[in-house]
Amino acid sequence: MWKSVKRYLRRGLFGVSQPQKGTAFSLLRLRLLTFLAIFGPGFVTANVDNDPGGIFTYSQAGAKFGYALLWTLIPTTIALIVVQEMAARMGAVTGKGLSDLIREEFGFRVTFFTMLILGAADFANIVAEFAGLAAGMGIFGVSKYLVVPLGAALVWGVVVKGTYRPVEKILIIFSLVYIAYPISAFLAKPDWLAAMKDTVIPTFSTNSEYLIMIVGLIGTTITPWMQFYLQASVVEKGIGKKEYSLSRWDVVLGCIVTDIVAFFIVVACAATLHVSGQTEISSAADAAVALRPLAGKYASLLFAVGLVNASLLSAAILPLATAFNICEGLGVESGVNKRFSEAPVFYWFYTALIAAGAGCVLIPRLPLIKVIIFSQVANGVLLPFVLVFMLLLINREDVMGEYRNSRTGNVVAWSTAIVIILLTIGMIFTS
Amino acid sequence: MHNLALTELLGAPVMDSSGAVRGRVRELALYPQEDPASIAALIVRTPSGDRVVTRNDIASFEDHSVLCTASSDVWMSYAPTTAEGYLLLSRDLLDQQIIDVHGRKVVRVNDVDLHAQAVNHHTTLKIAGVDVGARGAVRRLLKGVVPTTPLNALLTKIPPRIIPWEFVDLIETDPARRVKLRIEHARLSRLHPADIADIVEELAPAEREAVFETLDEEVAAQALGEVDPKMQISIVESLDSERAAEIVEEMAPDAAADLLGELPTETSEDILGEMSPEEREEVKELLEHAENSAAGRMTTDFLSFSPHATVSDAVEALRNFDGGKETLNTLYLVDKDDKLVGAVPLANIVLAEAETLLSELTSGEVISCPAKANEEEAAEIFDKYNLLMLPVVDEEGRLIGIITADDVIAMLRRFS
Repeated sequence: MWKSVKRYLRRGLFGVSQPQKGTAFSLLRLRLLTFLAIFGPGFVTANVDNDPGGIFTYSQAGAKFGYALLWTLIPTTIALIVVQEMAARMGAVTGKGLSDLIREEFGFRVTFFTMLILGAADFANIVAEFAGLAAGMGIFGVSKYLVVPLGAALVWGVVVKGTYRPVEKILIIFSLVYIAYPISAFLAKPDWLAAMKDTVIPTFSTNSEYLIMIVGLIGTTITPWMQFYLQASVVEKGIGKKEYSLSRWDVVLGCIVTDIVAFFIVVACAATLHVSGQTEISSAADAAVALRPLAGKYASLLFAVGLVNASLLSAAILPLATAFNICEGLGVESGVNKRFSEAPVFYWFYTALIAAGAGCVLIPRLPLIKVIIFSQVANGVLLPFVLVFMLLLINREDVMGEYRNSRTGNVVAWSTAIVIILLTIGMIFTS
Repeated sequence: MHNLALTELLGAPVMDSSGAVRGRVRELALYPQEDPASIAALIVRTPSGDRVVTRNDIASFEDHSVLCTASSDVWMSYAPTTAEGYLLLSRDLLDQQIIDVHGRKVVRVNDVDLHAQAVNHHTTLKIAGVDVGARGAVRRLLKGVVPTTPLNALLTKIPPRIIPWEFVDLIETDPARRVKLRIEHARLSRLHPADIADIVEELAPAEREAVFETLDEEVAAQALGEVDPKMQISIVESLDSERAAEIVEEMAPDAAADLLGELPTETSEDILGEMSPEEREEVKELLEHAENSAAGRMTTDFLSFSPHATVSDAVEALRNFDGGKETLNTLYLVDKDDKLVGAVPLANIVLAEAETLLSELTSGEVISCPAKANEEEAAEIFDKYNLLMLPVVDEEGRLIGIITADDVIAMLRRFS
């Protein structure tokens, strides 16, 4: 399996080792330590969802439509929780990753097709991460031709040399910078009544930009690759049916945190950019305006730090996760702990993903922000494929036994898939 | 004799003696209880349901279709319940994980390589091996999509990666089916425990459990000792306490004590309860020592002699010793109060005359370690005196156990 991602994820964020058995007090300590040890997958989800794709999509949603799209957050969060929980449950019950399950249950051809889709969506996201890096450093006036190759080499080197774990911890801690958004949102004195109203009452529109934005919002919140990552992460931590209930809480918490941050990003942008008439975000500096209420002239700096940090974290995780999933799905040797000669396809593929992803960003005059948002729309469009497979698998008795989906779970997940497909069709027809 | 791929056969038309196409191949079945490598029957999908064509009815495989010797009327109906003891190639082998015993890893099957051989008036089909490489993958992907001739031309350009059938160990999680399919992991058992552990670590929990339930206890115990500690615990917890006890009994007492020490109290009590009394006592004794003291690392499996014993006494005892052989590279001499008085390297025993007293074969002063010392102190002594084994003594100087080099190495790796 993911022997080396295992090294990175093995003991959760806090590196907890096996707790001692014993008395009742130790039992409490045991539960707490176990929770922290498992506290990886959901927590990482929350952080990685606030990657450049997330930040810019939520920002653009707020800038262009004000509070009008806030209503999509609650249904999307519910869908996210359901889908993530499904992925975690499948990992805990079967002990296998999603690509392995698809291969065993649906055969090689279907797996190949799914890997193509996953590869396409992931590649778009990888380009987005490097674009985010370029945009963020652009605030400091550093040219993308310098930053992107350096960033790519850095990320490649850190992961391949195996010094990823401490770096991951640093990056995750830095992403606490996003607390700036809620604070900024409050300081911008938005029309809370309007915001609340728009959060619960949906506004429908057949405006093509509106539809594209919704697909992008769903795609950036429920990314296809996150489901593969989460399931594999649960398997690597050895979370079984017993520990699974704790893991569930970690997943739910992560999803809720993600969407709370999303909410505040949208509100902050609505209250600053939209209100002042600036409805298009065409550079990182534009998006940084949302942090002015908090940081004044340091808004750009603050934003840049958060953005560069998020870009690096995602650029480190995503190509690795993609290479693993696809190699596993196709039955090819994979693992960063293997020498190059033992897993050549994996290494070449991983390197190609980073090189090509970074390379695309270097195209002159590339509209970075548009590319980033497009990648999230791609996520949204390709999501139903992954969802359908997950649903087919999770309802099979011989795979899941008594842990099959409940009717509610099925209803939510199937409706999500259907809604997205309808939105995509609508989006294509109206544009 | 020619080669066929499973993918080429699946879906192929089946003609009976009349020459008319009566159905299409749905599955190939193997009956391991009779013959582990020959195809016993084909399952054919016909308009009137699934039918079984036994191997004697198959005339030949020509042009990717199957010719049968008799009329389709003799074909029996296929009832899934009777197929319990059969391995169905498409369902049970394709896309599943198998253990490559020669390459010592777990791989996924892309395709199955078959040999067709004409015998008397019919053709037998044998499994040659499983294809785990790109050729099988491309064939699976493009068959039916790309016409046969260009496809075959493309495929011959791709180097094959085939694991011969005799190196394939199947994995089956249902115990009843394991018996019917004769899955005993005999080939897997012959690998070095560390390699078995590597393989087992790549499997999903249910499959891991299946392997540990099937392996011989001794092999299982050795392999378990080499598995990642966290996984050791989850494996032992998934076995029932009787089976777990069988395996733990075969482990060296120090390894067993370490393992049981990490389990939840209830589970380790259950397992201890199922163990034989002597083994239980040995392990319990070790469990009492603090985990990171020298005594916590030692094993009580060793041989000790009176200084007045002779080489032939020692050799006799060695022959009857049933503990781990790694504790035999030094023999220790104790006086009548069990106090450690000397150490005799095994080499000296081999080179000496049968009647020599062991006390004459000691080399220098015997180095030992107090039970209360911590692990680092023990490691220092190992390093300073270039030891392979270190005897542990209590406050009175009595020999209570020995620490072996592999324990020290494992400990040092943890601290680095």
